[in-house]
Amino acid sequence: MGILLSLFWLFLKVNLLSTSGISSVGLLHQEAVGKIITEEQFAQAVSFSSVLPGSEAEKLAMFVGLRVAGMPGALISLLGSSLPPIILMLGVFMILRRLQRETWVTRFVEGLIPAVAVLMLYAAYGLLTGGTGPVNWRVLTVAAVSLIAFIFDAPPPLVLIAAGLVGIFFFK
Amino acid sequence: MKVPLTDAAPSSSHLPSGFWIWLELFWIFLKTNLLTSSGPASVGLLYKYVVGNFMTEPEFVEAVGFSNFLPGSEALKLAMFIGFDAGGYPGTAAALLGAILPPTVSMLVVMLVLQNFQNQPWVHGFIQGMVPAVAMLISVAAWKLFRGGKSIRTRPLVIAALSLIAFILGAPTPLVLLGSGLLGIFLFP
Repeated sequence: MGILLSLFWLFLKVNLLSTSGISSVGLLHQEAVGKIITEEQFAQAVSFSSVLPGSEAEKLAMFVGLRVAGMPGALISLLGSSLPPIILMLGVFMILRRLQRETWVTRFVEGLIPAVAVLMLYAAYGLLTGGTGPVNWRVLTVAAVSLIAFIFDAPPPLVLIAAGLVGIFFFK
Repeated sequence: MKVPLTDAAPSSSHLPSGFWIWLELFWIFLKTNLLTSSGPASVGLLYKYVVGNFMTEPEFVEAVGFSNFLPGSEALKLAMFIGFDAGGYPGTAAALLGAILPPTVSMLVVMLVLQNFQNQPWVHGFIQGMVPAVAMLISVAAWKLFRGGKSIRTRPLVIAALSLIAFILGAPTPLVLLGSGLLGIFLFP
């Protein structure tokens, strides 16, 4: 029961403090890795969330929840990650109706963004150095090539699947 | 599949014809979330399905802008915003259901399959290969988020520097994020 509650709280918190799936990766890394999941499991969670169809925040929650506490864990994490946007949007419909953006919300999120970006870089660094083992020239090559692909706006799922295929044939 | 919309005016959600709008909303968001892997990536496809059909272009722009400025998953916020505009509360629920099914079902299936193949060397290699690419994906997303399409100004840099120091000193992450949000409200414009 304790673990289910902490999963719920974790994803509630993570989704209240970030504005999309990929931007929640930094906070999730800080809050979960080394506590309830390993760096390698985190790497799997983010990899699959980036490739599979649908909203990333929900996939991350399902993966982590299922790993940590089976099916009940997956459902409770899904609930925790979905509640913040659902309740906030319903609030917007009911209270602001044909809303004008509240300036303090806008400014809060504007302030949040630089810190979220720093956290994401932290998580990326953690994945690169501790995700699957020692950093070697193969890892750096895949990183460099995919960085170039992303800079040229290649579709992320395609790049990731290609990188995975490279992994099958060239990593060990 | 195209659901007929013949006499379904958006305002007639109390009539049975509202049902077709809800069904179409469900179908649009199911389709969009099956074909894309994140909220931001789905905007292009949604534009095609929604603008001129359920809402005008300015309304769509408002929906996208708004879902950038509230916490939580972007795909869900987009679905709720568009669903509400087109079909009231039932429309919201239909769009939300359509948006939430693909990620949950696909993740469940993959996890079940993965459990059976967990120890195969090729699964391990596949994930090992993806990790460096995922790290770069996150880095580029961080950079795009930080830039936000604008030139970099002093305030975000100050907040980034302060939060970096706080993280290095080991401050609790949620507190640092809350603090940076508050700085956004109170720091010079």
